[in-house]
Amino acid sequence: MSSTWMTTRAWLLMLPLLAIMIAVIGWPMADTVRLSFTDAKLVGLGGRFVGFDNYVKMLTSGNFQRALYATTWFAVVSVTAEMVIGVLAALLLNQRFYGRAVLRALLILPWALPTVVNATLWRLIYNPEYGALNAALTQIGLLDSYRSWLGEPGTAMTALILADCWKNFPLVALIALAALQAVPRDITSAALVDGAGPFARFRFVVLPYLAGPLMVALVLRTIEAFKVFDIIWVMTRGGPANSTRTLSILVYQEAFSFQRAGSGASLALVVTLIVTVLAVGYGLLVRRAAGSAA
Amino acid sequence: MSTLTIDAIRKSYGAIETLKGINIDLASGEFLVLLGASGCGKSTLLNIIAGLAEPTSGDIRIDGRSIVGMHPKDRDIAMVFQSYALYPNLTVHRNIGFGLEMRKVGAAERDRAVHETARLLQIETLLERKPAQLSGGQRQRVAIGRALVRNPKIFLFDEPLSNLDAKLRMEMRTELKRLHQLTKTTVVYVTHDQIEAMTLATRIAVMRNGRIEQLGTPEEIYNRPATLYVATFVGAPPMNLLAATAQAGRVTVDGTGIALALPGLEAVPAGRRLVLGVRPEAVGQAGEGIGFSARCEVAELTGPERIVTASVGGQRIVAALPAAARVEAGDDVTLHVDPASFHVFDAETEARLN
Ligand SMILES: Nc1ncnc2c1ncn2[C@@H]1O[C@H](COP(=O)(O)OP(=O)(O)O)[C@@H](O)[C@H]1O
Ligand SMILES: [Mg+2]
Repeated sequence: MSSTWMTTRAWLLMLPLLAIMIAVIGWPMADTVRLSFTDAKLVGLGGRFVGFDNYVKMLTSGNFQRALYATTWFAVVSVTAEMVIGVLAALLLNQRFYGRAVLRALLILPWALPTVVNATLWRLIYNPEYGALNAALTQIGLLDSYRSWLGEPGTAMTALILADCWKNFPLVALIALAALQAVPRDITSAALVDGAGPFARFRFVVLPYLAGPLMVALVLRTIEAFKVFDIIWVMTRGGPANSTRTLSILVYQEAFSFQRAGSGASLALVVTLIVTVLAVGYGLLVRRAAGSAA
Repeated sequence: MSTLTIDAIRKSYGAIETLKGINIDLASGEFLVLLGASGCGKSTLLNIIAGLAEPTSGDIRIDGRSIVGMHPKDRDIAMVFQSYALYPNLTVHRNIGFGLEMRKVGAAERDRAVHETARLLQIETLLERKPAQLSGGQRQRVAIGRALVRNPKIFLFDEPLSNLDAKLRMEMRTELKRLHQLTKTTVVYVTHDQIEAMTLATRIAVMRNGRIEQLGTPEEIYNRPATLYVATFVGAPPMNLLAATAQAGRVTVDGTGIALALPGLEAVPAGRRLVLGVRPEAVGQAGEGIGFSARCEVAELTGPERIVTASVGGQRIVAALPAAARVEAGDDVTLHVDPASFHVFDAETEARLN
């Protein structure tokens, strides 16, 4: 069979999928690009062509810059915390102890919960009148009077990050645990006989097997954190005083709350571009990590 | 240069006893091979010596000092693993020097030691490579180098050659023997390969189900196997086993009417079921000894030898004849065995009787 026929056949077989992809992703994407150069409203017809107006206005607006800052802060802090807690949890769950199997099974729970359920749970925990956090902190004497954790601009973002960590560290922990179990026992034994302490063993025995999978977790989590919408929408709707308004929340408000489809579209495209750059950059990192660990 | 004493070592995992009382005394510079089928407890014993596992009871002493409970790094032993167990992201140089690095040996001295070891193993040109860039044989040399460089009191090897192909395995076997002659370090070496055991060992411990079946020099193990198990485990092709019966101080081979008067069997009561062992290489076509009339079923030329499988009174016997022997399938032959080369075992207890 000739290779051109093989190629042709491959394309033929992929054609239905390609058609669907173009229909559900390509076309809306193209329409978004078109919209972003108009002053279209969400309802009503058309909109005039306004060139780069939307982009210029948006990129120079304080709202965008504040949202970009909030998003970056949210992503960096929550992902860093999730990675650290996840790896520590995995190291712990990789030890031999009574009840390990139960704990391993429980680990998946926060991640398996729908985000809306998780967010609602944490709203209850943070509740200013009967929330568990207020109760716990007052009882151990760290707090004098109940506070509105989600109602104060100073604490809302941190409270959100904590809730997001609780939900997502299990994913990192699971990936890390799987990687830890792939560390050959003989190498651990060799390191013990060679006189390596716990840190040297982590650095030279465990880390080479952990690096690749962790890089994948890092990529997944950063991109997700950058796009974060649901947990914030349920818990704070971007408030108070816009202190938790991330880029996705801003896009939603622009396009749907204020019904400005044109500028909402331009904002959405900028977010897409940022996430794409992140994804590609990380993709290269992962390939490097995989290469050095092999 | 150190002695090693393994004293009444037992090890249980839950209700299962993996080691059932092991006693071995090694003089300095000995090369002990633990030989046995997979699962008999060889690695468990080695890990207990290394400190990677603790015995349930018993004592291990190096130069008379107990090391039970001591951290592996403080035992001054080095270990080589079947899987090589190299650190994947360190160069060969750092892999070999790792133990010294962890023991805070200065960089200059470490470098000198690594180069000396690498020269000994002929891997000097590989020092800057990562393990992934090495062949199996090269990796095993690095793993041996990592053990060698530390100049430990005792070397432990856990099936180090099992992952290599046949030709390389033979080369490395010779290499290990050369290194042992050079360093004269005490060695405990685990294998399930009887050729490795015979060629390398100063003494062999044949293990079975957590016990030592026989402990002796390769010659003793080969020439005077203490049990039926040892007799069949060592030697290739394996020892022939003929069903026989004790009768009035003589041994009659079942189905042949041949009766042998073998020394040392006078006390065996008549009617006792016996197993008569004879190695294929002790069976000849001519010469003295007892003659068996046999019919050749298969003749296989291996190169130096012709392996003849024949039937004697309904029992099967394998003979390793010279390649020039003219025997074909279907031929009637007379096979000769010197009475002195018979091994007699009790069929029930499997213990040696003569
Ligand atoms: N950590 C362990 N837990 C439970 N059983 C074990 C453990 N290590 C070894 N065993 C058991 O002990 C027996 C001997 O194992 P091992 O010493 O590895 O045999 P060998 O090296 O001779 O093949 C095996 O039946 C194995 O299942
Ligand atoms: Mg083993």
